[in-house]
Amino acid sequence: MKLIYLHPLAIRIWHWVNAGGFIILILTGAQIRFGNYMSLFSFETAVNIHSWLGFILLANYFIWVIYYLVTFKIKIYIPPLHHPIEYAKKALNQAKFYGWGIMVGDKNPHHSTPDNKFNPMQQISYLMIMVLLIPAQIVTGLFLWDPNLFGPIVNLIGGVQIASLVHVLLWIFFSAFIIVHFYLATLGHTPMAHIIAMFSGYEEEHEEHGHEHEEHGHEHGGGHGH
Amino acid sequence: MMSNREKVLLSLFLVFMIIPVYAYAGSLSDDAQMCLGCHSGKDVTKQLENKEVLSLFINGDAFANSVHNATGCGGCHTDISMDNHPQPKKIKSKKDYSASNSNSCSMCHMEDQLKKKQMHGYLISRTKNISCAECHGAHYITSLAKWKTGLTEMQYCLSCHKYDISMTHGSGETMSLQVNEAAMKGSAHGSLSCGACHMDFSKSDHPVRTFKSKKEYTANAIKVCTLCHREEELRKSPAHSTSISKASCTDCHGFHTVKGIKAQKATAQDTQYCLSCHKSKLSMTMKNGESLSVYVDEAEHKKSVHGKLSCTQCHATFSKTAHPARSFSSKRDYSLSSLSEVCKKCHADAFTKYEAGVHYSLMKSGNSKAPSCAECHGGAHSVAKTDTSTGMKSCNKCHSDMNSSYEASVHNKARQAGKANAPVCSSCHNAHDVQMTGMTTQIKDGCLKCHSNAGELHAKWLWNPPIPSSTFAATHFDVVSCAACHATGATRVISLIPHECSTRKPLMQEDLAALLNTDVEGLMGKMDINGDKSLDASEIWDLYVTLWKKDTRSTFLGKMDVSSGAEAHRIGSKSEAIRACEKCHQTGADYFKNVSLVVAGSDGKRAVYEAKSDVLNSIYTILPASKFYALGGTSIKLFDILFVVALIGGIAVPIGHISLRVITSPLRSLRKMGKGGKK
Repeated sequence: MKLIYLHPLAIRIWHWVNAGGFIILILTGAQIRFGNYMSLFSFETAVNIHSWLGFILLANYFIWVIYYLVTFKIKIYIPPLHHPIEYAKKALNQAKFYGWGIMVGDKNPHHSTPDNKFNPMQQISYLMIMVLLIPAQIVTGLFLWDPNLFGPIVNLIGGVQIASLVHVLLWIFFSAFIIVHFYLATLGHTPMAHIIAMFSGYEEEHEEHGHEHEEHGHEHGGGHGH
Repeated sequence: MMSNREKVLLSLFLVFMIIPVYAYAGSLSDDAQMCLGCHSGKDVTKQLENKEVLSLFINGDAFANSVHNATGCGGCHTDISMDNHPQPKKIKSKKDYSASNSNSCSMCHMEDQLKKKQMHGYLISRTKNISCAECHGAHYITSLAKWKTGLTEMQYCLSCHKYDISMTHGSGETMSLQVNEAAMKGSAHGSLSCGACHMDFSKSDHPVRTFKSKKEYTANAIKVCTLCHREEELRKSPAHSTSISKASCTDCHGFHTVKGIKAQKATAQDTQYCLSCHKSKLSMTMKNGESLSVYVDEAEHKKSVHGKLSCTQCHATFSKTAHPARSFSSKRDYSLSSLSEVCKKCHADAFTKYEAGVHYSLMKSGNSKAPSCAECHGGAHSVAKTDTSTGMKSCNKCHSDMNSSYEASVHNKARQAGKANAPVCSSCHNAHDVQMTGMTTQIKDGCLKCHSNAGELHAKWLWNPPIPSSTFAATHFDVVSCAACHATGATRVISLIPHECSTRKPLMQEDLAALLNTDVEGLMGKMDINGDKSLDASEIWDLYVTLWKKDTRSTFLGKMDVSSGAEAHRIGSKSEAIRACEKCHQTGADYFKNVSLVVAGSDGKRAVYEAKSDVLNSIYTILPASKFYALGGTSIKLFDILFVVALIGGIAVPIGHISLRVITSPLRSLRKMGKGGKK
């Protein structure tokens, strides 16, 4: 067994800030929306926390952007779309693994390395999330935070109700996503393996990975984190 | 034989004794001769208590020729005899003296007899303040026939009508019958005899007539004017053509003092000339039958702020030489025309603002209650100086329902406390460019006139962390009226107002009706497809789509306000204002329960079409009302369901997967074992 340094410090900080922030944003978002049914916080407290965290995650997003742009490691998010068939096959294999292979003890077709951290499905979904969905959530959050300040742009997208529509639909998506994301994180060789790695930065690599032609598989969920 | 001296003395005595007797035609009674011993002197006078000087001179010849010569002096002056005369006698005035002496007349001329002549009887019974002597004289009365012969007709008539006599009509109106002889003679009709106009009357005939009113009398009297002044000639003048059926000749021209029109024009100022007709209760009739008074109260006009203006300064198309004939379809039409022609000349700024306001729109649409300048400022001829009370009085004519709420407001309390800047109606609503408060949030500009730091004050607490921002408070100002938070105990309502995207202006009721191929009355029927008298979300969507199909890109802007104007004026103290965000920003908030589609009419009124309380929580209104958003208040219900489904789905994925993994664990064990066996 050897350790691979998969998660640099900046990314680990960004990830956990993001994770905590997301959970609290989802909860305060729910509190704001379902004030009639839940009372984790008062309305004003929920709004205050939500607004503060929104800005914290906005700043946090830039840690991610700057890190990956400066180090040119952003390429780990880019699917090899110049080989679409090969990429599609790999993605299908990965899906098959989670849908069936993992049940019968197949080995994870993806082996994470610092340069090839994400399996094909992670790659496309994290790219979408990081480049499209989170920026959309941040921007629409800003629009709702002060609609007048961003009035001209808000009008351009059709009005503040449209901003709300996008923000709420993404809130719904992220709420479901974060549950699935957490579950997938437990599919390492031990349930805590990926989670610990996300703290320590080091992913344990079992010897089997070094002997890919051996028939021994292991229940490895592929590189968790992004 | 008498000496020559004795002869001369005798002659003188005879002459002295006989001449007076011959001088009075020898017919004067002894007592009359006795009285004339003193009263033949022209300087015999008496000063009365009112300082009048009463001449006591009697022309003996004239008295001797009078019908009363035979009665002598004592016949009438029964209280005087040589035993008691002269004695000091207190007399108040000539009139009083004449009246008391006239009592003696009835000793011979019995009242029943005097009343036999109708007019005489009428005068005796109706005009108590005229004594016999005032008409008939006292000492020189000749027989009636002889008297009449010696008088011209005018002199005869004036013998009574020079006095302040009057007649009372059935309506109770009193009409003076006094004629000023000098003025009459100086008038255009000065050369005419009385009977030329009063054809029923003559020295020998004086019928007694009764009239219901002055108007009836005048109508009868002026018939005679057209004998000389032919109506078709008169109608050639525009002023006559419009007024001739409305006013009597005498209303404008007077009667006994009438002057030639040229003389009148030459001497009268513009205003006087105009008033020669307009001082009468003239009116003009509109095409729709309405009657408009064109009477001008000169005294009122002089007291008004326009008192120094001449008529032609405002009514520029009129002058002494020009009086165009005009016709208007209605009083409103006249008002509209006058506003732009007359008031605007000097008050252009106010008029331009007025044109932009709702009152002008209402007036143009034919609303008979919509105010023009005069309704607020008073008639142009009696307009008073404008002050803060002008609005309070004039606005109340139509908006009195706001009174009680205003009176309960902090604003009125401040006014009562004498604060100089305490607001009245115009302070917030403006005086001339009054806007419909229900359609816009412009009224807040009125609030901000005094509460100019309201933006800063709200921005102190109404912002989202972490960065203080004034624009967040402004977001609220854009869609929430001040009253919505500051009116105590008001019911809040949401108005959805369809706006045209390209012009950013509200779609007018008429335009909307045209787009839906209906009329204004049929609008709700077209929009309310299921006919339940309330718009639901899908009906709003259908309306939006229909407009889209007709190439009208619309957006339904939302606005929060209170439910009535009366509530809007009930502004409470600062501590009573709504500050709790949850009042609006909570799903199902009460403040979002009353939703209506509101459309402005070209008449300035707004039509309110009730909508279901949950329309703003439907996906159907996301696009139509895409610019109106309130956290909580406009939450889309479907997304709440979607959130729950997503959570359940999110949780179901791991549970399902774990379950499958548990179920399939024997497979993995077998495989492991198999591999282990191989190994």
